Amino acid sequence: MEKIALIYSYNTRNTANVAKEIVKAFGKSVVVEELNAEDIDGQKFSSYNNLILGVPTWFDGELPNYWDEFVPELETLDLKGKRIAIFGLGDQVNYPENFVDGIGLMVNICKKAGAEIVGYTDASGYTFESSAAFSGGKFCGLAIDIENQGDLNDERIESWVSQLKKEFR
Amino acid sequence: MATIFEKILEEQNKEVPRVHGILTTDKELLEKWFYLMVLGRALDDRAPNYLKQAIGWSYHAPYAGHDGIQLAIGQVFDKTTDHLYPYYRDMLTTLSAGLTAEEIILNGISKDNDVASGGRHMSNHFAKPEWNIHNFSSATGNQTLHATGTGRAMKKYNHKGVVFCSQGESSVSEGYVFEAINGASNEKVPVVFIFQDNGYGISVPKKDQTANRKVSDNFRGLKNISIIKCNGKDVFDSMNAMLEAKRIALHEQHPVIVHANCVRIHSHSNSDRHELYRDDYELNYVREYDPLAKYRRLLLRYKRFTEEELVAIEQRVKDTVKEAHKSAMASPDPKPESIHDFVIGPAYVSQKYPEGLHDGKGVEMKLIEAINQTLKAEFRHNPDTFLWGQDIANKDKGGIFNVSKGMQQEFGAERVFNAPIAEDFILGTANGMSRFNKNIRIVVEGAEFADYFWPAMEQLINTSHDYWRSKGQFSPNITVRLASGGYIGGGLYHSQNIEGALITIPGIRVVYPSFADDAAGLLRTSMRSEGLTMFLEPKALYNAPKAATLVPEDFEVPFGKARIRREGKDMSIITYGNTTHMCIEVANQVSSELGKEIEVLDLRSLSPLDHEAIVNTVKKTNKVLIVHEDKVIGGVGGEVAALISNEVFEYLDAPIMRVGSTFTPVGFNRILEKAILPNNEKILEAVKKMLNY
Repeated sequence: MEKIALIYSYNTRNTANVAKEIVKAFGKSVVVEELNAEDIDGQKFSSYNNLILGVPTWFDGELPNYWDEFVPELETLDLKGKRIAIFGLGDQVNYPENFVDGIGLMVNICKKAGAEIVGYTDASGYTFESSAAFSGGKFCGLAIDIENQGDLNDERIESWVSQLKKEFR
Repeated sequence: MATIFEKILEEQNKEVPRVHGILTTDKELLEKWFYLMVLGRALDDRAPNYLKQAIGWSYHAPYAGHDGIQLAIGQVFDKTTDHLYPYYRDMLTTLSAGLTAEEIILNGISKDNDVASGGRHMSNHFAKPEWNIHNFSSATGNQTLHATGTGRAMKKYNHKGVVFCSQGESSVSEGYVFEAINGASNEKVPVVFIFQDNGYGISVPKKDQTANRKVSDNFRGLKNISIIKCNGKDVFDSMNAMLEAKRIALHEQHPVIVHANCVRIHSHSNSDRHELYRDDYELNYVREYDPLAKYRRLLLRYKRFTEEELVAIEQRVKDTVKEAHKSAMASPDPKPESIHDFVIGPAYVSQKYPEGLHDGKGVEMKLIEAINQTLKAEFRHNPDTFLWGQDIANKDKGGIFNVSKGMQQEFGAERVFNAPIAEDFILGTANGMSRFNKNIRIVVEGAEFADYFWPAMEQLINTSHDYWRSKGQFSPNITVRLASGGYIGGGLYHSQNIEGALITIPGIRVVYPSFADDAAGLLRTSMRSEGLTMFLEPKALYNAPKAATLVPEDFEVPFGKARIRREGKDMSIITYGNTTHMCIEVANQVSSELGKEIEVLDLRSLSPLDHEAIVNTVKKTNKVLIVHEDKVIGGVGGEVAALISNEVFEYLDAPIMRVGSTFTPVGFNRILEKAILPNNEKILEAVKKMLNY
């Protein structure tokens, strides 16, 4: 398997913790390079074919500004041949209207730029009202809810990474 | 096949065309936006200093965090075609729409040449009526009704323009906001309602306002309305959203809601301390998304500007603000003697009937016919007249009492139409429609009965302030007709009089005819005047033969002109409405039984009062009884009595006495009604007491 870029903001706490768990789950046999989303650019982004993006949801369903400000450049990239998996954190109880919207927003942008999205997960077991990441019973990424289902994190991360090991090349 | 509801959802979820982006927008435009955003922030940040130095700006609602959407609203507004209702946080909106830094400061420190109001309205209420950037009340969200009314006018006059109406998300909880948007949806008017959602109504979080976190979702069930959600902190997303909203309103001719997600970086206003209810984490979180900082970063990241170029623009802003401050500080303050200027728009001046009296020629009419015929005559006279109200126009029905019968048949549904059962909407949209063109004259049947007018009080109060608040720049030209009073066995909600409350409001007129000719004359004057007139109709007299008179075809009664309905020398009764007839009957009875002659003065106009006529009758008879149907306590009579005491006390040979309703509601059972309302018996008793004094 080619090396994987794991991009998330180093200023975050929960997202960074999940990223660390993801690295751990891949084990030593897979090269996972961590990059700070705060200073990502097109050149760095394009130098990987397997990418995992940590995309939390801000406000009532928006991308964090560090991702949002990268989007105009991201949209100009040709992402054909790249496999991108996205994880994000959400709170089903307090923000059920835009649960992990960030995942969905970023997936759409990457898809339009030609990327293949991997790492879809089954949405059963979650309770929410709406999500930009939800379609046909699935999330287009890994949804982590530390506040309400923190005890499921390890299992969900393990399962997702196992799946990615098959879907990444 | 998609259901109608699915189609609505599909329409509401359409992607907004991306006209603008950091990589595609012209540099010149990017520079203009940066200049405006830095200028706005400089003024917003500077505003508290004026308060600290006791110069002014004692109300300041900072806009920081709403930068994207406010810039966008101002940019899409075209003062030659559009109307704008900015709320009290819309500093950047109005700057972006064209106000200068000096105009912003002049409003902030309440100077005489503040273009919004000459220092009359609160600070941070930016407006420029000359450009259709409207001055209105501080009551949150009440401008939505005006906006729908202006949109209605655009539609009726086939005007190609859009109304922009801005508010915070919490004010959407106001009932009248629903009325406005429901009406806009029903009438398909070109109005863009913008909800600037910063998550708080002062300290009240969204979850305490409504169940939907995104309040625009509350309107998803309405037809003919598009809902666009955008990031109000982001310049490009906001610009694209507003351009699309304007396109839809203009070309598809239906309303749009733009829901802009913002942050409130500072407290609600200078009287709020947000650290009492927001923790450091939250405050850091919102500061991190400072829209201006984000825009600046984008300009640099995508190499549209160099740091030096941006610094130069920022310096230009500093120079502009310095100059504006200097100039505004040197501007004159409003003069105390100006307070009586522009209380109400000019009244129509009658050349032919300056005293509101005629020579007894004309056609014999009942009171109801006189109102109906005058409405029709004025609609023929002025094509810019409109009439609406509940129950007003369905085939042969013309109002609950058929006063406006035949109006829609003659003048068409474009000018005479039904309103929903929403009294605030009826009056609020009249206000808004009146803003479109000063020639427009609107008559509304304010409610089915005067008793039901209370929901419209919010709009009445705001409307009563308009002319004064705008320093004469906008006059709402509206006649509010209300079927009023009792003696019909109508009970608590079909028999009340509300004029005692109405006359306490400066900025409106209140008239209450008791005969057909005066009804015709006062209505004609109301419909030709500027300003708002409450036209109260004694419904018990609509078809009463005793209220029928000869009515000259062109009769006019000026405001503030009472009429002696019966000459006398032994005492005076000052009255109006239903009780005028009782007083005349009692006076006639006393004349024949006791040989005393009582003068009966019909006030006709309750605000303004005819001081001269009141004073003259007291001087003539030296005894005065005031009779009205409304409650004695808090009624018009109290004001009349005070006026007499102040001006002609020495002419009185007896205490001023009053007869009116008891201090109770009006009961439904006729026995109760009789015990409560004044009648000949009660008046006669008071008359005898006074004559014997």
